[in-house]
Amino acid sequence: MPEPIEIQLKKGVLGLCVLALLARDDSYAYEIASRLSDAIDMGEGTIYPLMRRMQTDGWVETYLVESPAGPSRKYYRLTDAGRRALEDQGREWRRFAKAVDDLITEADTPVPATTDTQEGGAAQ
Amino acid sequence: MTRAEFMSRLKKGLVGMPTSAAAEVLNDYEAHFDDGLAEGRSEAEVAAALGNPDRLARELKAEAGIRRWHQEQNPSSATAAILAVLGLGAIDILILLPLLMSIVGVILGGYAAALGTFIAGVILMVAGPIAGAPGGPLAAILAGLGLMAASVTGAALLTVLTIWLVNGVVWFARLHYRLLKPALEPQVA
Repeated sequence: MPEPIEIQLKKGVLGLCVLALLARDDSYAYEIASRLSDAIDMGEGTIYPLMRRMQTDGWVETYLVESPAGPSRKYYRLTDAGRRALEDQGREWRRFAKAVDDLITEADTPVPATTDTQEGGAAQ
Repeated sequence: MTRAEFMSRLKKGLVGMPTSAAAEVLNDYEAHFDDGLAEGRSEAEVAAALGNPDRLARELKAEAGIRRWHQEQNPSSATAAILAVLGLGAIDILILLPLLMSIVGVILGGYAAALGTFIAGVILMVAGPIAGAPGGPLAAILAGLGLMAASVTGAALLTVLTIWLVNGVVWFARLHYRLLKPALEPQVA
């Protein structure tokens, strides 16, 4: 069953988005989830398996912060490996996005020369 | 879905995971509910935004299994990791299953052969000199030692191969699970 391309794309870049968020500031899961759910409309529950995966990969580490109200909160911060992953994936994403962008722009703007040759080819 | 319902379904889904790890996961989601309620959202809203607890539990369990495998590489953690990853139900993995089974069979056969060779080596070394093997006692002892060394080498190579295989399966499953089964769409289940 084909899945909407939107979901596939989002799932693919979710990790990159989290890395980017954490690069700016350490944060806790609820905050990350609400930022991402606002920005790219993802299910909030996904954040926990994702954070665990990133912990397994050694991209993030956790520490506890006392909170004035209620129990202490688990914060996530990027490790050096996480920073490198952000650099690599960010570069890859930009290259990919640019390539797709170029293709879409190409499709939008008719190029007269190409159209001519295509018509010529079709007529023969 | 109420908070209690969500948490009990999640808890049920996490059965089989080490207790401390499961407790940590449950804590995360309890904290999520706390934060959501503090923001003025209703339990039902938070639960709906979180998604399907059964599916989340499967993903969390697979992740925990993989993590354990990375920490301690032994038959039990390998089995746990592979089972958890299969539990994700990525179609590719199910198709791969027969192939995987035959590879596992070959590896088990290899171990049996190594064990047999080792035992043969022991017998040759012990019984050879007594039974008067051709070439004299010394030759029998050396041949027995040689067989034992060869079988140990074989078993070691097989172990390396097995670890490599489990890593491969885990890597493949994660890669495909991420693409095949997006848990992104908010589900009200």
